[in-house]
Amino acid sequence: MKLVRAELLKLFTTRLWWIMLLVVLLYLSISLGAVIGFAGVSPEEGAPPVFPARDTPAFQRLAWGQAVTGSIIVAILGATMVTTEYRYQTITTTLLTTPRRERVVAAKLGAGVLVGLLFGVAILLLFALGIIPAVLLSGGELHLLDEGVPRVIGGGLAALALYTLLGIGVGSLMRNQIAAIVSLAVWIYVIEQLVNAIPLLQPIGRWTPQGAASALTNPGIDPGSMIDLGYLLPAWAGALLLLGYALLFGLLASLTTLRRDIT
Amino acid sequence: MSAIEITNLAKTFGAVKAVDDVSFTVQPGTITGYLGPNGAGKTTTLRCLLGLVRADSGAALVGGRRYADLKDPLTEVGAVLEATNFHPGRSAANHLKVICTAAGLPLARAQEALEQVGLADVAGKRVGGFSMGMRQRLGLATALLGRPKVYILDEPANGLDPSGIQWLRGFLRFLAHEQGAAVLVSSHVLAEVEQTVDNVVIIARGRLVRQGSLAELTAEGDEAPLRVRALDPGPFAAALEAAGGRVEPDGDGLLRVRGLDAETVGRTALEARAVVTELLRERSDLQKVFLELTEERP
Repeated sequence: MKLVRAELLKLFTTRLWWIMLLVVLLYLSISLGAVIGFAGVSPEEGAPPVFPARDTPAFQRLAWGQAVTGSIIVAILGATMVTTEYRYQTITTTLLTTPRRERVVAAKLGAGVLVGLLFGVAILLLFALGIIPAVLLSGGELHLLDEGVPRVIGGGLAALALYTLLGIGVGSLMRNQIAAIVSLAVWIYVIEQLVNAIPLLQPIGRWTPQGAASALTNPGIDPGSMIDLGYLLPAWAGALLLLGYALLFGLLASLTTLRRDIT
Repeated sequence: MSAIEITNLAKTFGAVKAVDDVSFTVQPGTITGYLGPNGAGKTTTLRCLLGLVRADSGAALVGGRRYADLKDPLTEVGAVLEATNFHPGRSAANHLKVICTAAGLPLARAQEALEQVGLADVAGKRVGGFSMGMRQRLGLATALLGRPKVYILDEPANGLDPSGIQWLRGFLRFLAHEQGAAVLVSSHVLAEVEQTVDNVVIIARGRLVRQGSLAELTAEGDEAPLRVRALDPGPFAAALEAAGGRVEPDGDGLLRVRGLDAETVGRTALEARAVVTELLRERSDLQKVFLELTEERP
């Protein structure tokens, strides 16, 4: 536990975390704003709307589910939890203080989960400020504990925690800060986007971390709307897959750190 | 038991034998200088000792155990490896508090250690603005946190100004001679540690070249000559040679005399009625020994 506290202290005694928090909150207010703004709006007369209307439960699921798009930020933050140690060689001091490296890795993973959840909570609080008035003003009924909303909110939190671990895994593997951040951006913005958007590749896409996260936050919009999420795994399978990925990234971080010479 | 015990240590990086069959020990209450030119294998030895680098063979033990097996390593060993081991955006006090937290030490130790190295007034400043000398002091503060009995310092004098080096010498002597700690300090500049260390271990190209006490190593050098300067050096040189000295004139009235002690030179001057303007023994500089031992040999 003291090592998890030390890892959190490392993060919170430098400035990066609140810059990242600010960025993610700004970024997600834009994406939430789009969902609220275009809710119920059809691209042309008679066509189904892009996003479900504000007074439907589907709208609430979709809006809360936008929290997952903060994953890139927590992944980068997770990567920097490892790469700054190599960049500034503080890894030497870290391992001198705790020569049992598996404990350091475990502490980083534990701290990563907490940081992911913390960012998730901050995002959800921001979302509450947008979603609750939007629903109530449009005369809809607020669903926080039913209509699949708890699954979406919980799934969003779990996904953010997982992507922080993904960042830690990639950071441990690469050690170079720029390389790790670029790889994460390419993975999340290009590869995962493509395999989850192109129908031919969706059978692969549903097995990616993003596919698993989407399965958990699947708003279940009527078929016929522009977003067809029918290819995704069921929510429970998405949850299991996320857990599997978490273990995989933890293993990746351990294997790359435990035997390496620190020169 | 030796505080530090290195036995037949070897480590290869690719094709380079960084450390090749190195053995030495460091006793409590003494300062050992670990000397060698840049790239000789000093840092690799220390990193093997601290469990950061995995040795190919041999053993490197602190208090009879591997560093990785120490339960609370910071309370047994204080190490300073590079002066750049800090996140530039973190303050000095927070840097130490992170380590205290991870090591389970009271956070108050951070301020105490900063006071001990004279950084108390910049505790809240970010390390990015620190000079090299301040970073070295902060590194030392890091090593002091757990009040260990063994100190391992890699080139701690790098970047220190002359007053900083003076301070470091006094501090290391205090740790070893007053507090009974074992201190192992590496350097590629002999002059930095020459006045501080009790024992010397010299390494070059990964291999141990020489080890012993400072006195032993100095005695191994050439017999130190006497510098004698006289107003009329010609006849005086002849008189010195007649007295059994080997004289080597060096211009400007300077004579280097071997084989005579200062008293004999004085008496010879009296008898030869020579006016002597300078008489002192040249130190057999360990630096010279160091260079001889470490320079490339065919």
